[in-house]
Amino acid sequence: MATTPNSLVLEISGVKIVPQSNYHSGNSVKVKLLPNTKSPIARRTPTIYGRTNTPRGLQQIKSSHMAAQNVDSTDDRISRISSSIRVIADFPKPGILFQDITTLLLDPKAFKDTIDLFVERYKEQNINVVAGIEARGFIFGAPIALAIGAKFVPLRKPKKLPGEVISEEYSLEYGTDIMEMHVGAVQAGERALVVDDLIATGGTLSAAIRLLERVGVDVVECACVIELPELKGRNLLGDKPLFVLVS
Amino acid sequence: MSVCKEDDPRIDGIQSRIRVVPNFPKPGIMFQDITTLLLDPKAFKDTIDLFVERYKSKNITVVAGIEARGFIFGPPIALAIGAKFVPLRKPKKLPGKVFREEYDLEYGSDCLEMHVGAVESGERALVVDDLIATGGTLCAAMNLLERAGAEVVECACVIEIPDLKGRDRLKGKPLFVLVESQ
Repeated sequence: MATTPNSLVLEISGVKIVPQSNYHSGNSVKVKLLPNTKSPIARRTPTIYGRTNTPRGLQQIKSSHMAAQNVDSTDDRISRISSSIRVIADFPKPGILFQDITTLLLDPKAFKDTIDLFVERYKEQNINVVAGIEARGFIFGAPIALAIGAKFVPLRKPKKLPGEVISEEYSLEYGTDIMEMHVGAVQAGERALVVDDLIATGGTLSAAIRLLERVGVDVVECACVIELPELKGRNLLGDKPLFVLVS
Repeated sequence: MSVCKEDDPRIDGIQSRIRVVPNFPKPGIMFQDITTLLLDPKAFKDTIDLFVERYKSKNITVVAGIEARGFIFGPPIALAIGAKFVPLRKPKKLPGKVFREEYDLEYGSDCLEMHVGAVESGERALVVDDLIATGGTLCAAMNLLERAGAEVVECACVIEIPDLKGRDRLKGKPLFVLVESQ
């Protein structure tokens, strides 16, 4: 394959193929297939499901700090993270535009930047516990916990955790589900961060907050990669702040 | 052949943080619970470091983690060695096109799925899970990666239950573990 400049986008059979500079090797450029990234539905409703590059709450991260660490600016990192997320129409059911973070995980720099942005925010906040919501919250929560020296506590679907657990029921669109945490994983007075890949209605995150508060933990903030603001998930979090990278 | 880091001083701390819960998920099973390991930041960090030290110079381009506990150990390893992370999931969790691999359980069967396009032909892969028992899940994981054209370099687990001979189901691929458990 001849060398391809980064700005060239090839269209083959209606599928966009975007060259990625980090896959460049020798004279060939490996390309990442992005099936249906810009589906017609996504284009029609950009204000509901589109992503912007204006992350909430990141203004306080100073750019001088970025320069000192030799990292890209916050905006540059957010831009790359945002564009690495794949949108899949009609999953898990018709009408839903699913925000797929697995494509972000395929870009080591974007994944690292994602974790770094959270770590930069929380490392000085004396967080003792990072609680990650099964299963995609594990992918982001565990690296954050490691980087800030906090415990990692998995919040799981029923019957996955062995031994004594406490359970919290929460509403779904139809019916309810249950979230569990180990007894003894956290202590009263500890400062916790709750992590998930995405906040939609806020039902799952608010269940996590309730679980932690029932044992006396101080939930400092909820952190997600993506927010779907029109679903108003923030309203279900009570007085707990929410920090997201992509809205 | 399984390799185990018995001589490293960090292993004792890791092993002592693993909690055994009897009769879970059913009578007679001694469940190896790694959640207590995750409550000790130093032991959790040591766990990841031991894997990273082994793999950072092996040109691994993809770390595949098996849902869900493989999602706790796999991503930190991937991040540290600069590899992609690919989640291998139960059915119907991954959106879009997937490869699907069925495997046997004690009673019945289960499935593991991987995204089409996540892994490219010729990539060098590491498969990560918290524990290897019979090896059925790891074998399914390896099959998925090989179907996509990747080379599975090694399987890595925190814990092995040697009596269950899981390493014999890895199609000749090496297994690296930190802790062996009866």
